[in-house]
Amino acid sequence: MAVTKMFGASVKRREDPRMITGRANYTDDVRLPGTLSLVILRSPYAHARIKSINVEKARQMPGVVAVYTGKDLVDSLAPVPCAWLPPNSDLKVPEYRALAVDTVRYVGDGVAAVVAENRYQAQDAAAAIEVEYEMLPAVVDQEKATQDGAPQLYADVPNNTAFVWRLAGGDIDAALRDADVVVSQRLINHRLIPTAMEPRAAVAHYNPGSGELTLWCTSQNPHIHRLLMSAVTGIPETKIRVIATDVGGGFGSKIPFYAGEMIAVAISKDLGRPVKWVEDRRENFVATTHGRDHIDYVDVAAKQDGTITGIRVKAYANMGAYLSTAAPGVPTWLFGLMLSGPYKIPNISVEVHGVLTNTTPTDAYRGAGRPEATYVLERMMDLVADRLGMDPVEVRRKNFIPKEEFPYTVATTLQYDSGDYEAALNRALEIVGYEQFRKEQEAARAQGRLLGIGFSTYVEVCGLAPSQAAGAMGFQGGLWESATVRVHPSGKVSVFTGSNPHGQGEETTFAQLVADELGVPLDDVEIVHGDTGRIPFGMGTYGSRSTAVGGSALIYAARKVRDKGAKIAAHLLEVSPDDIVFDQGRYYVKGAPDRVKTFQEVAGAAYLAWNMPEGVTPGLEETHFFDPINNTYPFGTHVCVVEVDPATGKVQFLRYVAVDDVGNVINPMIVDGQVHGGIAQGLAQAVYETAVYDENGQLLSGSLMDYALPTASMVPTYEVDRTVTPTPVNPMGLKGAGETGTIASTPAVVNAIIDALKPYGITHLDMPLTPQRIWQAIQESQKGS
Amino acid sequence: MKISGSYTMQAPREAIWDKLIDPDAIAGCLPGVEQLEKVGENEYTMAMTVGVGPVRGTYSGKVSLANLNPPESYEMHIEGSGRPGFVKGTGMLRLAEGANGSTEITYEGDVEVGGPVGSVAQRMLGGVARRMVEQFFSCIEKQISGG
Repeated sequence: MAVTKMFGASVKRREDPRMITGRANYTDDVRLPGTLSLVILRSPYAHARIKSINVEKARQMPGVVAVYTGKDLVDSLAPVPCAWLPPNSDLKVPEYRALAVDTVRYVGDGVAAVVAENRYQAQDAAAAIEVEYEMLPAVVDQEKATQDGAPQLYADVPNNTAFVWRLAGGDIDAALRDADVVVSQRLINHRLIPTAMEPRAAVAHYNPGSGELTLWCTSQNPHIHRLLMSAVTGIPETKIRVIATDVGGGFGSKIPFYAGEMIAVAISKDLGRPVKWVEDRRENFVATTHGRDHIDYVDVAAKQDGTITGIRVKAYANMGAYLSTAAPGVPTWLFGLMLSGPYKIPNISVEVHGVLTNTTPTDAYRGAGRPEATYVLERMMDLVADRLGMDPVEVRRKNFIPKEEFPYTVATTLQYDSGDYEAALNRALEIVGYEQFRKEQEAARAQGRLLGIGFSTYVEVCGLAPSQAAGAMGFQGGLWESATVRVHPSGKVSVFTGSNPHGQGEETTFAQLVADELGVPLDDVEIVHGDTGRIPFGMGTYGSRSTAVGGSALIYAARKVRDKGAKIAAHLLEVSPDDIVFDQGRYYVKGAPDRVKTFQEVAGAAYLAWNMPEGVTPGLEETHFFDPINNTYPFGTHVCVVEVDPATGKVQFLRYVAVDDVGNVINPMIVDGQVHGGIAQGLAQAVYETAVYDENGQLLSGSLMDYALPTASMVPTYEVDRTVTPTPVNPMGLKGAGETGTIASTPAVVNAIIDALKPYGITHLDMPLTPQRIWQAIQESQKGS
Repeated sequence: MKISGSYTMQAPREAIWDKLIDPDAIAGCLPGVEQLEKVGENEYTMAMTVGVGPVRGTYSGKVSLANLNPPESYEMHIEGSGRPGFVKGTGMLRLAEGANGSTEITYEGDVEVGGPVGSVAQRMLGGVARRMVEQFFSCIEKQISGG
């Protein structure tokens, strides 16, 4: 049987047919008899005391089964937990109740819950609940929130400061003192709304007879949600099954453990009936976590020749009204550790203030902390180049960590696994035709046309691991991954992975890995994920870790299977296992390829077990838990070319070149797709998307009419290429490709636009660079001259 | 959200003033008013249906007038809520004598809106408010000239 090598093949995604033909099984598609509809009444005020709640009218409405307020759930639900507790940061975790008990702290905070026979009835009844609020002053800006006299969200969190986290390497004060130039800039990395295509949803089915809870929900990490659900409800983990197999996108917003799912479970347990809760889009905008929202004060120390000697960052991170599950880790570790980027910067100091405000809680959003760090570095590189009159490419090149020096330990203590930053940069320059472009730009400027080019030479940390590091960072979990490879008697293979792909395509790429390891056809491999009733305990999908960590676990499990098969084949062929060669699904005797047992024959023999070698147990199934020795560090160069219309401020994208290095690639088509989607999201932050609150805490961009999620016509064609620098930290030599595009693209786009505006003396503008903002900047620059 | 504007009415100041504190005149002229009842001195309860972009529904709440300085100015406080969200605001209305027996009405207000009407329709709110004010004054003007 000839099996071609699957690693490196652009196999079409096997999950797509069911998804694009409406046959996927999303949470809202789960229809159990007798299911009640849950609607959560949410606060229209950003900050208010609940004076009274009258639910009597709602209770009398048709179809209504029960109405709950915050007080009704205090005994059955512990507070919503926070599970990333950075040490030495004076962290204060305020109490976060599933439904507010006496005070609401953001627009969207849950106030009451209604269950009815159908959604319409529940919605109508929720509208009939009378809540009397006493409005309190609100604060939405994280800098203002830390000032004396600002409205206070909690009596026990002075100045709304939930934590102050610091990290330093080298001597930043000396670096700033001895620098030839110090370049300083305040940068705003504004708030974004993840907007997954599938909003959050839950179907909770508590069986009072067995005491078992089945929860279908939209989760990136179902075992984590099972563990936390057990902790908040008291239902033993062994009695909870969480199913999140088909999830319509997450981008980080489906990592956290939320109130909505908890309420559905508590009510199902109370009533003994299945309860379904599905966010509508408006609810998703306020009730699912937001991302980014940093204000960064940056000082960079440099020498006259462009050598960067130090960087100091003081950041104010807007955490929203409560600390979401992983939230404290995002603006601290995932941001601060990456402030060296791909550069040798010997002196680094970072201080992050995590601030509570009357806004939707923030948490991980595609890239989580690394886009913020990359934006800081890549914007500052251009500002340093501008100050020194250097080419921005040369400043970057001058400071790159050379390829000979890997593994390289940066001042923030991370050890980068492997890299060749200059190769990716050179490839990108070649594709874009850099020298030629600068000539064209000059000619265009002479005609009054504004062309600009922007670079982002990035490195990011993904394949998030190892568990020991997670512990040191205060992450309340491990960062390993699990896999079970079960070979059935027919030789077909089921793989049970602890990763939980929700758009990343691992049903395809994982099958490619197993097909190669066991020499079986791709179609014989089934990937099972997202169901805690079927899979081993797993950590889930985030931080571009599934293939690097989960993929490694299944490679090792598959190799254990293969080795056991070799023992069985040797026994059947009456030779020593050392004399067995395995190739493309066949075990044969070394030097005698006609003496052979196929993988399928061996699988059958393992289950019949009529004739097993001594000491070998029946069956063919192995599990492996993999905890890598390090993270992985993908890198690359993104280049954006734009033309800005000076009359309107409108940006036209002329080219977008991405050269990424994610190590070895299992499926180039899937990686290209990840890069495309990532760039679209990062570019959208640069020019389109922004979450806007008014000063009273009302979310003004609360719908898809107001929040500018880009469509295909709003993004350019991408020219994607790759260099390949394998990592030594996993058996495949691959890194991670889920977030590179988002991390790299935002500063590339901003740098391109600022470069285009150079004739006006504009050196920085805060995002999103809308036509209005650009036009205004042009007008203001001309007023001065 | 700040709202401000002006309207010139071909009517004497006193006549306009009388209409602008007359609940029946207000109820008859403000588009969408379904109920307006006096509950105290210069205090009214009110129910009103308004559509702003895609968000349409009935608000009920209180309206009160303060600092009455006839026939020159008064302050208005409104507070209402309903399925489309809530509205809370303060406004100032001034009547000044204009040329040829006309009266110049100027208004300015600060309105806070929340809920669906705040997050979905706020962009359109300014335009809708201005149109409603125009309709209101032109109706008052007709009432005065007709009666």
